[in-house]
Amino acid sequence: MTADTDIIKIENLNIWFQMRQGFLKDVISKNLRYAKAVDGISFNIKKGEIFCLVGESGCGKTTTGKGILRLVEPTSGSIIFADDESDPIIKRLLQLAGEKSRKREGTAVVEMEGRRGIDIRKLTKAEMIYARQRIQMIFQDPYESLNPKMTIFDIIAEPLIVNKLSKNEKDKEERVIKALNEAGLRPPEFYMWRYPHQVSGGQRQRVGIAGALVLSPSLLVADEPISMLDVSIRGEILKLMLDLREKKRLSYLFITHDLSVAYVFSDRIGVMYLGRIVEMGPTEMVIKNPKHPYTQALITVVPKPDPTAKEEKIILKGERPDPTNIPNGCRFHPRCPQVLDICKKEQPLNLEVEPGHFVECHLYPGKK
Amino acid sequence: MAMLEVTDLRTYFTTLEGTVQAVDGVSFTVEEGEAMGLAGESGCGKTTAALSIMRLLPSNGYIKTGKIMFNGKNIVTLNAPKLRKTRWKEMSIIFQGAMNALNPVKRVGDQITEPIMLHENVSEAVAIKRTKELFELVGISPDRINEYPHEFSGGMRQRVMIAMALACWPKLIIADEPTTALDVMIQAQILRLLKNLQKELSLGFIMISHDLSVLAETCEKLCIMYAGKIVENGTSIHVFKNPRHPYTRGLVAAFPNIKGVKFMPEPIPGNPPNLIHPPKGCRFYERCKYKIDSCNETEPPLFEIEPGHFVACHLVQKGVI
Repeated sequence: MTADTDIIKIENLNIWFQMRQGFLKDVISKNLRYAKAVDGISFNIKKGEIFCLVGESGCGKTTTGKGILRLVEPTSGSIIFADDESDPIIKRLLQLAGEKSRKREGTAVVEMEGRRGIDIRKLTKAEMIYARQRIQMIFQDPYESLNPKMTIFDIIAEPLIVNKLSKNEKDKEERVIKALNEAGLRPPEFYMWRYPHQVSGGQRQRVGIAGALVLSPSLLVADEPISMLDVSIRGEILKLMLDLREKKRLSYLFITHDLSVAYVFSDRIGVMYLGRIVEMGPTEMVIKNPKHPYTQALITVVPKPDPTAKEEKIILKGERPDPTNIPNGCRFHPRCPQVLDICKKEQPLNLEVEPGHFVECHLYPGKK
Repeated sequence: MAMLEVTDLRTYFTTLEGTVQAVDGVSFTVEEGEAMGLAGESGCGKTTAALSIMRLLPSNGYIKTGKIMFNGKNIVTLNAPKLRKTRWKEMSIIFQGAMNALNPVKRVGDQITEPIMLHENVSEAVAIKRTKELFELVGISPDRINEYPHEFSGGMRQRVMIAMALACWPKLIIADEPTTALDVMIQAQILRLLKNLQKELSLGFIMISHDLSVLAETCEKLCIMYAGKIVENGTSIHVFKNPRHPYTRGLVAAFPNIKGVKFMPEPIPGNPPNLIHPPKGCRFYERCKYKIDSCNETEPPLFEIEPGHFVACHLVQKGVI
């Protein structure tokens, strides 16, 4: 695999949740209402790349992350995962996915840039278990995502037991120790038999990371992994994640609400608003030369550690918009400071304003 | 004379494991119309310091020694009825989680009119009128006073909390992490509101946050706390442009600046010390990268490095760093 190949490619992904309107209406009504948490997004992550989704809460960034692992079921669209075929797990997965199954139409193997990829959405439950060995998730809150009644050893060994991966007790222990070492919990023997409440917040997040690493994934979905941590340890976790990328060629989907973290950590950024990516591009381009009015506003309101900064903040009126009632035209128009007439009627197209930098906004007319 | 003058405040907690010295010899002043920021990691004692000023400590906490002079009164020795008269009317607090701080089964209007009626002996009609004014002041439609907290969004609930803190026009407001749970856009709205109110009403204002960049934008003065002590104290410009204490330097370097150069935030390795048995010398000793042996022997006093800029570090005092 060369450096520039995609490890995952998401196209036109929709994740809608049906709204309950009462029993009879749910059963007979023809106009079901949906909360369109993710509404037609496309992006790709290259091998070894850190792609960052940023946005306010409720914009659908976490739902996207969960959708990729099918922790929530996507409504439509495709999620193509294409990893190194020499990897035995991927080999097995490709073989399984190529077979016919009662549970899907046709095959789950698709062609992607001359390589074979797997459409995650078409995998059966049993096949998903294989896929999840290579796509893992790190959760936000290390205080709630770890079972308080399990020792750190048990927490990290659980994926091995679920996936029936350990040959014997000794093998299991070795793998757990390896994962603890990789996550920087050294010496592993010191942490292994403790309970989550006996270690600090930063160490707890490392346990979460070790739990993801124990299956040696190639793509990690990290959902706000540092937002619950103290500032003095945030840097440690970010550094650990960067080290792991170097050593193991991990790719990340990094989900955060904090643009300044996205700025220093990621290679590319996608800015989400109400279920769509409104701006996407290499980090420097998006942060230093934002095009979409929403991105521009977000960047001005990020608090800056500089008391002498004299910058006019663009503070948007109103609060988080409602995904059950998405405005017509451009979904950002009710809050947009530069709104045009056309914005209220037509949804803007996705335009490439400079190489690799995409914006969905009527302010930038161009080739369609 | 300063409106609020805290001198050598020590607040301890009795726990099963021993006495936790959460705040241990903290001194600062707040002038009328001045905004001061109190920053530090979780567990450094910043909230405890605020609760001591309000005398709202939990039952196992007590003020061991120290003076909190507020408008000529020593808060530490006030009895309950006098204290009651001071709270709300002279100083009030905005709590962190608006979700938890509001009573979910009472209308928000009632929660604000109640203290007004109790503290100012006015009729309900007058109190309701004032509540409506307060709502307008914080940017909520006055028609919403009869709604319940769950009908408000997070940002709006925080606005209700601010209206409530202003109910009896106090001169000092303490805001404990007022925007931590909010989105950046809402955070910007609330910070602008707080800053405007503070200027307009010329309030004394103490803002507590772990987020130095939020404090940089709202406060003129900053106190950096570490393990129950103030390690650096000065204007925001002093602290950000010329941080001297190794801990402050670490904290400042831990915040990425979106407008600045792209660099990875530097971690500060290690954990804060156990405050049941705090170290004898400098409390930052274990984590300090400049430490020398003698740092662990005596506690560094606050030392004025330039006018109005104080640092508690042996090495700075000796001119080593």
